[in-house]
Amino acid sequence: MKTSRLTTWLSSYSTILILSVPLLILAAMTNLLADYLLLRIVTALFVSLIVVLGMQVFMGNSGILAWAHVGFMGIGAYVSAVCSMTPTMKKIAIPQIYPFLMQLHLPFWAAVLVGAAVAAVIAAFVTYPLMRLSDAAGAISSFALLIIINSVLVHWDRVTNGPRTLFGIDELTNIWIAVGCAILVLILAYLFKESSLGLRLRASRADYYAASAVGINITLVRYYSFIISAAIAGFGGGLYAHYITSFTPNAFYLTETFNVLAMLVVGGTLGVSGAVVGSLAVTIAREGMRAIENNINLYHMLPFDVIGLTEVFLATVLIISLIWKPEGIMGGREFRWRPKAGPQEANRKSADPAKRE
Amino acid sequence: MLRVDNLQVHYGAIAALRGVSLRVEKGELVALIGVNGAGKTTTLSAIAGTVKALSGSIIFQGQSLIDKSPEAVLRLGIAVVPEGRDIFPSLTVEENLRLGAFSRHNRNEYRNDLRETFELFPILQERFHQLGGTLSGGEQQQLAIARSLMAHPTLLMLDEPSLGLAPTLVSQIFSLIVTLRSRGATILLVEQNVQRTLEIADRVYLLNTGQIELQGTPAQLKAEGSIKDVYLGKAK
Amino acid sequence: MFTFEFLVTAISSGSLYALLALGLVIIYGILKMVNFAYGELIMFGGYVLYLVGTYTRLPWLVVALAAVLGAMIISYLTELVAFRRVRAKSLTALLITSFAVSTLLQNAALLIISPRAKAVILPPVFSTSVTLFGATIAMRNILTITISIAMLVGLTLLFRYTILGIALRAAADNFRMTRMLGVPADLVISSAFVLSGLIAGVCSLFWIGRTASVTPTIGLGPLIIAFIATVIGGMNSLVGAAVGGFAYGLIFSFIGVLLPQVLLDYREAFMFLIVLLILLFRPEGMVRSKHAEERIG
Repeated sequence: MKTSRLTTWLSSYSTILILSVPLLILAAMTNLLADYLLLRIVTALFVSLIVVLGMQVFMGNSGILAWAHVGFMGIGAYVSAVCSMTPTMKKIAIPQIYPFLMQLHLPFWAAVLVGAAVAAVIAAFVTYPLMRLSDAAGAISSFALLIIINSVLVHWDRVTNGPRTLFGIDELTNIWIAVGCAILVLILAYLFKESSLGLRLRASRADYYAASAVGINITLVRYYSFIISAAIAGFGGGLYAHYITSFTPNAFYLTETFNVLAMLVVGGTLGVSGAVVGSLAVTIAREGMRAIENNINLYHMLPFDVIGLTEVFLATVLIISLIWKPEGIMGGREFRWRPKAGPQEANRKSADPAKRE
Repeated sequence: MLRVDNLQVHYGAIAALRGVSLRVEKGELVALIGVNGAGKTTTLSAIAGTVKALSGSIIFQGQSLIDKSPEAVLRLGIAVVPEGRDIFPSLTVEENLRLGAFSRHNRNEYRNDLRETFELFPILQERFHQLGGTLSGGEQQQLAIARSLMAHPTLLMLDEPSLGLAPTLVSQIFSLIVTLRSRGATILLVEQNVQRTLEIADRVYLLNTGQIELQGTPAQLKAEGSIKDVYLGKAK
Repeated sequence: MFTFEFLVTAISSGSLYALLALGLVIIYGILKMVNFAYGELIMFGGYVLYLVGTYTRLPWLVVALAAVLGAMIISYLTELVAFRRVRAKSLTALLITSFAVSTLLQNAALLIISPRAKAVILPPVFSTSVTLFGATIAMRNILTITISIAMLVGLTLLFRYTILGIALRAAADNFRMTRMLGVPADLVISSAFVLSGLIAGVCSLFWIGRTASVTPTIGLGPLIIAFIATVIGGMNSLVGAAVGGFAYGLIFSFIGVLLPQVLLDYREAFMFLIVLLILLFRPEGMVRSKHAEERIG
């Protein structure tokens, strides 16, 4: 019995629907409840999701750890902030800012997109040679890159105000913008994964030499994927900047890297469902622990203040997750509507080349 | 002494060994031959413990080797000289040998072992303080074998010792194997050089795509005549 | 400008950085993993110094010994509890684990002690100076140099002449083959971690000795230094790492004196740029080692 073409098409893209609808519902409900704190948490969740999805695009499909990812988020954040802040505000917040930057004043969307573009361009210039390195050397290089980006952000105070807080950004990312962008990026990440480029990248992950042998230019494929991933990170950074309205370079360094990694690894690196599930799970866990931590401190339940309990908990969860279920909650699968399948459907489903972690 | 029964090994979805059975008795020189990719190295790796078997049994002197780590297998008395020699390039010949003797604790025995080693492999005495990476291919092969012998194994497994060596060196290696055998060693030899192997082996197993196709003494196999077919792909 | 005093300071930095780098590369050589928790070993040593030094009346030498032992133990534990079980999986999993362990230890210090800096009691000898060749030299620098060099010599002897050292070097060359010779994998790796902890513990004495205080984030600085040093010198060789560390210390000191004040802030960024260039064009490091397979594309 042949399944209809419509059903097949629907099944393939059902993942997007299955993931997007709960996110929209979440946004709607939070909006309805109108609790300020909850609103902030959920908006932050959607923005984090964008960054995590960006990481998934590269790391999930290539198997390579991109330590510098959060650095590109920072680039996007700072660039978009400098573009969108009013000149008056910039004069106050970044006293030594370059004159031409001070005059720059772009609307929200333009600023965010410029941020993403700059991140992508920098990625394009810097990372091509890195793509040729082996596993171990590649990990080291990308870590070095993260340190360098941080160093530049900290030292170039005529643009970033250095290690001091950059404040005065307009809060323009509301919950609907956040969820809308998250869904857009979700679709992009999913389409990438299933595209020719994504497929070639996943092949290189499954078996490097076999992929080369069939003519895949792995360095080039990694390179393009990384640029896309950096652009998404920059985009997320721009949205983040207009959500949090003030930040330092330290916000885009090791702590945030840990958060993003935790979300992606716990959820599962191999698919976009993993990114969504992981972001949700980690956010819930983190906010829950944070609430407990605050309550203990507020009501002096213990003779001392507990600070850092949340991070200890999350780190432990991440370690346990790596030991017991390194492929994450989703285990490499995607949420998908599977109609009662004909024989060719069932066979196609089990032939995923990138199933291994 | 060594009994392998219905060994199955999978690499992911690929079945490398599909039910291999063989045995090696004390004092024998048993050979495992077959084309590239037949599963010879996989067989040795499964016995040595570097690759996990899916099913089947490997019994060595009454002990099961399934799920044992490589260190444990060595301690039970099986030494492997892998394909590609795997000597330590940044260690000297002396250090390579010393490490081979790691599992033996007696210092005096080490000196005796060294003397024996130099008898069999005089070139190693010459190069004693040189880095392993500076040795030629043939010398490295000798070092690899000498190093494994330092552990006084009960069973010595050699994976393609003649690979990549010039013909004179190949002869050297094969006569070395015969010498070892004459000193009472039990050897499982994996080789591509069929002709030479048939000259020296007691028994031969022919492996093809993960299964034993033929087995017997060299005379029996020559009489049967189908080795050529298997190698040239005419057999199933 | 280049006084004798300056030279001593530069060599002091150099020898400490060389030791730092060695502690990191011992583990990298075998597991191919950058141990992000390495900095936290130094932090741990610092906190032991603080706790034991503040709450007991023991002589400082004993306190220092406790710090070094503490670092060794915690390093061993991280391997036993976390790394051992992830070892068999991918390198990526191992790296993320080391990052998670680092975060865990840092925040555990935050939680259990305090986010604020704690003062560490140092022996009086650390603040004295000596007059040599007409210059005033801080005793602390002399101690750093002597102890670091003593450790480097001791470790060299260990790696050259003991069977454990040979096994560690062999494991860095070819871990699988080392096991096939009967060397227990767990023993080798645990030893590497304990050695790394020993080095970290000793380094913590001198690192903390600079500021006389410890915070939960104190480990990041040494980690980055060790990291850069090994990249410069070569991550595949013990000698390379030590040389890289020494060079880094010297270069850093010299740049500090040579650059005009306005560019001094960029000293760090400048060093990182060198690192990136080395990674791009010579990933096996500046020191020639026997073999390097860093390029695959």
